[in-house]
Amino acid sequence: MFEVQNLTACYGPLIAVNDVSLSFETGVRMGIFGHNGSGKSTFLKCLVGGVKDVSGAVVFGGSPIVADQVHRNVMLGIGFVPQVQNVFPNLTVEQNLHIAGSKSNSSFLEEAYALFPLLRERQDQLAGDMSGGEQQMLAVSLALMTRPQILLLDEPTAGLAPAIVKNVLNSLSRINSELGTGLILVEQNVLAALDVVERAIVLKGGRIVFDGASEELRAKEDLWAWF
Amino acid sequence: MEYILTVMVLIGINVILATSFNLILGYGGLMSVAHPIFYAIGAYCSGLLAIHLQIPVPLSILIGAGIAMVLSFGVSLPSLRVSGDYLVIASIGFQLGILHVINNLDFTGAAGGLTNIPVLNEGPSRSLVFVLLIAVVAACAVFLVGWIVEGDYGRAITAMRNDEEAFSALGRNAMNIKIVLFAIGSGMAGLAGALYAHYFAYVTPEQFGIFTSAALLTMVVVGGAATTWGPLVGAVLLTTLPQAITFLGLPVSIMAPLQGVIYTTLVIFFLFARPQGLTGGSRGGGGLEAWSASAAFRARRDAE
Ligand SMILES: Nc1ncnc2c1ncn2[C@@H]1O[C@H](COP(=O)(O)OP(=O)(O)O)[C@@H](O)[C@H]1O
Ligand SMILES: [Mg+2]
Repeated sequence: MFEVQNLTACYGPLIAVNDVSLSFETGVRMGIFGHNGSGKSTFLKCLVGGVKDVSGAVVFGGSPIVADQVHRNVMLGIGFVPQVQNVFPNLTVEQNLHIAGSKSNSSFLEEAYALFPLLRERQDQLAGDMSGGEQQMLAVSLALMTRPQILLLDEPTAGLAPAIVKNVLNSLSRINSELGTGLILVEQNVLAALDVVERAIVLKGGRIVFDGASEELRAKEDLWAWF
Repeated sequence: MEYILTVMVLIGINVILATSFNLILGYGGLMSVAHPIFYAIGAYCSGLLAIHLQIPVPLSILIGAGIAMVLSFGVSLPSLRVSGDYLVIASIGFQLGILHVINNLDFTGAAGGLTNIPVLNEGPSRSLVFVLLIAVVAACAVFLVGWIVEGDYGRAITAMRNDEEAFSALGRNAMNIKIVLFAIGSGMAGLAGALYAHYFAYVTPEQFGIFTSAALLTMVVVGGAATTWGPLVGAVLLTTLPQAITFLGLPVSIMAPLQGVIYTTLVIFFLFARPQGLTGGSRGGGGLEAWSASAAFRARRDAE
């Protein structure tokens, strides 16, 4: 259970997330939408304590998320895949997975390879030399190495070809159904993402302007007016 | 002969300094300019302890290195908490501040320098023995850094340098690694300083200023940041080069600025033309890429 109460996040004078309150179960599939600069990434970062200047409270499973202590917060069982640079380009695929796995059971390496067989083929390749889609798969596997109960993904399909977008989103669905891992998905590919999530949130200027079932958002005739 | 041995001592000292600076800057990606101040702290503390408290020189050398290591926390703990960029400012402030203190205290010899420091070893072949000792210490320094950056810890260092946000997202504490690297590097610089003081028996504040920062930066960049052998190559080249220029017999008024120009030119040339340095592979640059990467990231974010 994630509980967010009156969360406000600032960068200097700029208010990026403005008085947001909401709660969701750990196994949820939820999409966060909104145009560029609406505060999606900032909100997601706040869920792991990645923004320093915040007020309000974020509580995960009864434990408070402490600002600026990302490495501790994620160990509560949260997997976080940042928007940019979410793999370590100068390390091989296997070394990447070892970094992530060194705090948990390393037998999970095999599970990651089972989930994304392609990563086993590429295990000795430098992560920086892989394609965008392959890097996203690696990034997701890295986050899974800490055995999270919930995965937070910031635009995991950004810059990918449409066929690969489906592929990545399908993998995420599979992780949710097979491992029971919750998904919080920030996405620009709204329609593709609405197929995966059950609940949708739309942010505008750092505030929630829509919160409801994904079907409800899809059915809105003026869908794009919300953005 | 004595001249050559002295140059070899300087080479050894500079190998230790460049290798430890490489641990901080090249591997750690920590943009500190204050490496010479930990060199100074090692030199002054060890010298003063031996002079005033008659502590045996080998022991005072170790204490001097230890003090440099402990004082490094004074820079790294507060500044890294704020941000990586802040370390640059904090380190310059710390360097200039400590130098100012040394320059104005009587018991450190003020601007005139600290004299009559007891030497580590005496006797007819004292320089030769010292060269052998410094060679062993320099080799240990190179292997120590090589050992730290190999294996699990080394991979964690690379990952932390590649991307701190992603690193902490995996439950790893980047701050701890940075503080440890900074402390080890600073301790090694302190050791180099203490060895220097007890060989030359004399140190002055001006040896540890920004000019020395530039010299060490040049050694690391020219040799190859985040490589094992790069700082060694850089230290040998950049210690012998000024000595060679000395033989041209130019007046001091030209010599001093000329060295500065050479260092600056080399750093700029290598950063643009060969960021991996003389010894690095195609994927070099190490910590230096952290600057260019974060700059690129900011440019991209600001463009959005
Ligand atoms: N590190 C930062 N420093 C300063 N401003 C930032 C930073 N990150 C984001 N912002 C600003 O905060 C606002 C929200 O950004 P963000 O959360 O990244 O939005 P989104 O992910 O929805 O595009 C934007 O105006 C953006 O420019
Ligand atoms: Mg974003």
